[in-house]
Amino acid sequence: MNFWNNLKSGCANLSPNCQDASRAQSEALDHPLPPTKKAGLWLHLRICKWCRRYGHQIRFLRTAAHEHHDELTEAAPYQLSPEARERIKQKLSSEK
Amino acid sequence: MLDNMETEKPSPPAGTNPAPGLSDPERWVDEHGDYLFKFALLRLRDPARAEDAVQETFLAALKGGKSFAGRSAEKSWLVGILKNKIIDHFRKSSRETCFTDLEFYGDEESDRFIGDGLGKGGWIHELGPQEWANAGESLDNELFWKTYRDCAVKLPKNVAAVFNLREVDGMASKEICTVLNISESNLWVMLHRARMALRRCLETNWFGKQT
Repeated sequence: MNFWNNLKSGCANLSPNCQDASRAQSEALDHPLPPTKKAGLWLHLRICKWCRRYGHQIRFLRTAAHEHHDELTEAAPYQLSPEARERIKQKLSSEK
Repeated sequence: MLDNMETEKPSPPAGTNPAPGLSDPERWVDEHGDYLFKFALLRLRDPARAEDAVQETFLAALKGGKSFAGRSAEKSWLVGILKNKIIDHFRKSSRETCFTDLEFYGDEESDRFIGDGLGKGGWIHELGPQEWANAGESLDNELFWKTYRDCAVKLPKNVAAVFNLREVDGMASKEICTVLNISESNLWVMLHRARMALRRCLETNWFGKQT
């Protein structure tokens, strides 16, 4: 029983559909995939331009955020309120 | 100009207090306060908590009493302290509340995949990922980063926390699991859904609008 189950999941890993492949491409950014999953994804990407694009785009989003974290932080339309600014200054001068 | 420079007070010799280059803490607040606040707010999503984190950062910096030659070194030193304060906060709050969120985007865009029959689980072609024109150029555009931020802000709090730690700060998966007290497989699911939602949001609100 175990053998057949393993064989079944092995075959599914070797021919993932796009939904599985998008999950696998994301997981590959966080940990090394098991060999059958990796091989299945590789095969799938040879024939599927949509998933190649998907993988490319999620990697782009990661690199962009990581390398431009300053721009991402600066994009927030907020600033320290005058009250908070004053409170922090007072706290700092009392601790000096 | 030259005259002015010559009349300026000479900086105190090394070893005395204040050390050369060590700035007045009140100037820190004016120069770095807003940046640190935005940094904390993006990650904590709570203005009051973000203010507290900024204040704690300055207090810790005051005790640390280091000196810096340049302002950018000073800023990264402060950001480093703030990062640790934020992680401490997550570590503490993960003992009280659960960070796992398997509700958000639970359907994983199933509306964009073929639901049944031949090709089940394949992208419906009109709804599959589109070509992103000039993606590299977007990185220099302030408006792109506003859109990125707006999309990231739409993620639920805990999903956003995971996404920021992993993708923005580049923290290792195992470390995130320890800090937030979640399992690795749940972390992967949350990250997958966050990336999927963010990709879709940016495609709709940015790349789909570029001509």
